[in-house]
Amino acid sequence: MRKYHLGEFEEIVMLTVGILNNKAYSVAVKDEIESRLERSVSMGALHTALNRMEEKGYLKSYSGEATLERAGRPRRYFEITALGMKALRLAKESRDGLWAAIPQSIWNSSYAMDQL
Amino acid sequence: MKESRPSPPKTFLAFFQWFCHPRMLDYIEGDLLEVYQSNYKKLGKRKADWKFILDVLLLFRPGIIRPRTQPQHFILFGMYKNYFKISWRNLLKNKQYSLLTIAGLSLSLVICILIFGFIKLHLSYDDFHTDKDKIYRVVTELRSTTNSHSGGVPTPLPVLIKERESFAQKVIRTYSAPNVRITVSDSNGAHHYKEAEGVVFAEPDFFDVFNFPLKAGSAKSALSNPNTVLLTEELAQKYFGEENPIGKSILLDGEYELAVDGVLQDIPANTQFKSGIYVSFSSFKTYMPWLSDDGFWGGISSGMQCYLVLQPHVSPREVEDILSDYTEKYPIGSSDTRAYYSLQPLSDIHFNSMYGGTMERSSLWILTAIGLLLLVTACVNFVNLATARALHRSKEVGVRKVMGGRSSQLFWQFIFETAQISLLAILVALIGAYLVIPMANARFNLNIGLGVFSDRYFIYFLGTLFLLITILAGSYPAIVMGRFKPMAALRGKFSLQNLGGFNTRRALIVGQFVIAQVMIISAVVIMGQMDYVLDAPLGFDKDAIVMVSMGDDSRQNKTALKNELVRIKGVEQVSLCNDAPASENGWMTNIQFGDQTEELDFLTNMKMVDEDYLSTFGLTLVSGRNLTHSDSVREMLVNEALLHRLGVPSPEEALGREITANGGNMKGRIVGVVRDFHGNSFHEQISPTLLTSDLGYYESYAIKLNMEDSKSTLAEIEEVWKRDYPNQPFEFEYLDDRITRFYQNEATTLSAVQLFTGIAILIGAMGLYGLVSFMVVQKTKEVGIRKVMGSSSLEIIWIFGREFTRLILLAFIVAAPVGWFLMKNWLENFEFKIQQGLGLYILTLGFTCVIAAVTIGYQTIRAASVNPANSLRSE
Repeated sequence: MRKYHLGEFEEIVMLTVGILNNKAYSVAVKDEIESRLERSVSMGALHTALNRMEEKGYLKSYSGEATLERAGRPRRYFEITALGMKALRLAKESRDGLWAAIPQSIWNSSYAMDQL
Repeated sequence: MKESRPSPPKTFLAFFQWFCHPRMLDYIEGDLLEVYQSNYKKLGKRKADWKFILDVLLLFRPGIIRPRTQPQHFILFGMYKNYFKISWRNLLKNKQYSLLTIAGLSLSLVICILIFGFIKLHLSYDDFHTDKDKIYRVVTELRSTTNSHSGGVPTPLPVLIKERESFAQKVIRTYSAPNVRITVSDSNGAHHYKEAEGVVFAEPDFFDVFNFPLKAGSAKSALSNPNTVLLTEELAQKYFGEENPIGKSILLDGEYELAVDGVLQDIPANTQFKSGIYVSFSSFKTYMPWLSDDGFWGGISSGMQCYLVLQPHVSPREVEDILSDYTEKYPIGSSDTRAYYSLQPLSDIHFNSMYGGTMERSSLWILTAIGLLLLVTACVNFVNLATARALHRSKEVGVRKVMGGRSSQLFWQFIFETAQISLLAILVALIGAYLVIPMANARFNLNIGLGVFSDRYFIYFLGTLFLLITILAGSYPAIVMGRFKPMAALRGKFSLQNLGGFNTRRALIVGQFVIAQVMIISAVVIMGQMDYVLDAPLGFDKDAIVMVSMGDDSRQNKTALKNELVRIKGVEQVSLCNDAPASENGWMTNIQFGDQTEELDFLTNMKMVDEDYLSTFGLTLVSGRNLTHSDSVREMLVNEALLHRLGVPSPEEALGREITANGGNMKGRIVGVVRDFHGNSFHEQISPTLLTSDLGYYESYAIKLNMEDSKSTLAEIEEVWKRDYPNQPFEFEYLDDRITRFYQNEATTLSAVQLFTGIAILIGAMGLYGLVSFMVVQKTKEVGIRKVMGSSSLEIIWIFGREFTRLILLAFIVAAPVGWFLMKNWLENFEFKIQQGLGLYILTLGFTCVIAAVTIGYQTIRAASVNPANSLRSE
């Protein structure tokens, strides 16, 4: 289990890479996270996370095209590896397991509290 | 790309580029720029800048910062490997050029290494003594109507300082007696050794002040006891062979027996103390009683020296103040001469010629300059050949540029190449210097040890040379090649003319010629002056005269032997005298003229001669008659210079007047006036001179030989001489050899200048040769077309010749005044000198032209005689 552990931010990054499918390069990932989750992402944190995921083998990358606004620097596109998929799934399963284990009554009360 | 695009803060971008891991650099930099662009559009420059800075700072974290071991090295190493390979191939491909450059560089480097060794040696003079910064020599300036300087002090002064003053830890007196004779007797009889460096009489503390380590025996006791002596190992071996020298005795000047009490290690080359024989100072009392007298204030001998080791915190100025009291208290000799004392630091002694120093600091500077100039000449070769050769490499440069090589990379590539060549040249030069140093030592009497190679400063020196050559020779070609436009380079659109400024190369050649011509001018002037001083009429005959020293002072023997010598077949004339007409050290005396009671305020050179002196040396009388035979002073001859100083208008008026000399104890009437002759070297004016007879003062026989069979005549003279003095060494010297020795320094200077000139010419010629052979190749087509159009071979040669003639003329215009000025200064040392005539300069110019013509001749003639059909067909 421990082997496939994903941090919270790492999980978000990987999921976003999945969402963007084929168009996942760093700026796009950043924009996507920022727009979907309304949190700001620093370039440093993002790149560190992407690198870590790649080192672990959850992501792989390839060089893409260079554009004018990047002053000729190439993009690096990321995609999720099979291992990455497994890690994501494991993460989701463990969450789901936890979700399922919560007693219904708690939900109701907290729902009620939300209503107040 | 034309529209100006907003750019993020440069510093932060550079900072990012610096710290970012190279693997990610491009991607992240692209991201940063992309985000910046969009921020710029959305939020404006200020906010975008801020966000950019923030991003950069947040990127500064472990996963992104580059590791400390820089992977770049790996990449560059490959590049260097390539540079190395390419430059090596280029060296091998153009063997001729490589040889010319490397030979030129190493030749000049060998000279530089020699000069370094020489300067190092002289700067290290006496720097190995423990208290070297506190050791001073007391020197004297004598002031009366004229001033003179001496490295010596009055004999009693050191004693008084020791007794009365407290500023010095140690006070020592030394007396050095040059040119002594050492006699060593063993079972095989007596052996005589002439020691030009002489002996030093030294007080017991001598070896506490100066660190000359002892090998055996005790220095202190050796120098305390009378009649004891210390020898160096070298001399001990010379005198006694392998036997233990201690306890043996040597005879100084045939009279003073000294017991060997200790052996010193050999004296190093870098000290002013050249003598290897140290005698206890107490022995000096018997050696020279009059000078060693502790009340002798009558004069100063430059051999009598006083060294002080000052107490800490005592400045030389304070000591000089204290010594000024002695100036008034103890006048020297006659009452109006005052001695002013000052302290000379130990390090200054070797360099200060005023007090007898033998090496001028300026000479060291001149040598440094010469070394540098030779190096520059060689670098000029390199620059010229390299830029000319750059043409061949334009394709390489073009390809490199197209593949993304930057100008700076190309620059460094060629610097690297130069570095490689200069390293090679340095290696060759090291081997060369190693072989040459022993020869140079023998030829110029230099004493450069091979230890110079292991010197720490030598490594720095080589490093500096290496950098100097690389920068001097490499930067210009490197800049030129780095600047190639890739398109033009690939299309081969360069020609020699538009390559790296043809004028730069011309200027360099002119510079080379200037250096060479200045040296040629110097060499020619010095040679001219040397010829002049050795061949100019001296006013007396110096040929076929041999000076034989006398065996003893006995009056009868002197005349008896003279009579015997005259009878030898092959001896034409014999004269008894104290010295030849020309000598290095004269006997100077004050004289009184006529009935004046005061001594005149100039010194007169006095020579003791017999009646045959004039005829032996061919001196001519202007007026009056020769001396008649006399054994004591009765009659006198004077020279014209003396008459002039005396203010006597015509020679006739002087006849019969009385002169008193040598402190009043010699009196005589003038019987004749001798035409002026050169009694000193040409460095000096003709001094007022007095000739008179006194048997007691004669020291040599001047023998005029018939040169037809001089060898056997000399042998016969020796035989006769030996019969009278069986235990004495027979010493003789030809007069012209002695006169040649006056100019020993100049002779050494001359051979050094000749050597430097030769090398400068050689290096210059090598460069010229390389350049011309290159030009010839470049102009093959032009020559072909010209020939087809009807040019003659001579005209073709002139195309090349014209260019170089112009350059030589231009160089000459610069070199002539420089050379003239330098040589004018050098000639100032002589009272009698040649004029720097026009002929000399024409000679120099002609010589340079001939050298250049010979150098370029072969290549140009070959170029001119090529069949145009061949040269035009080749493509």
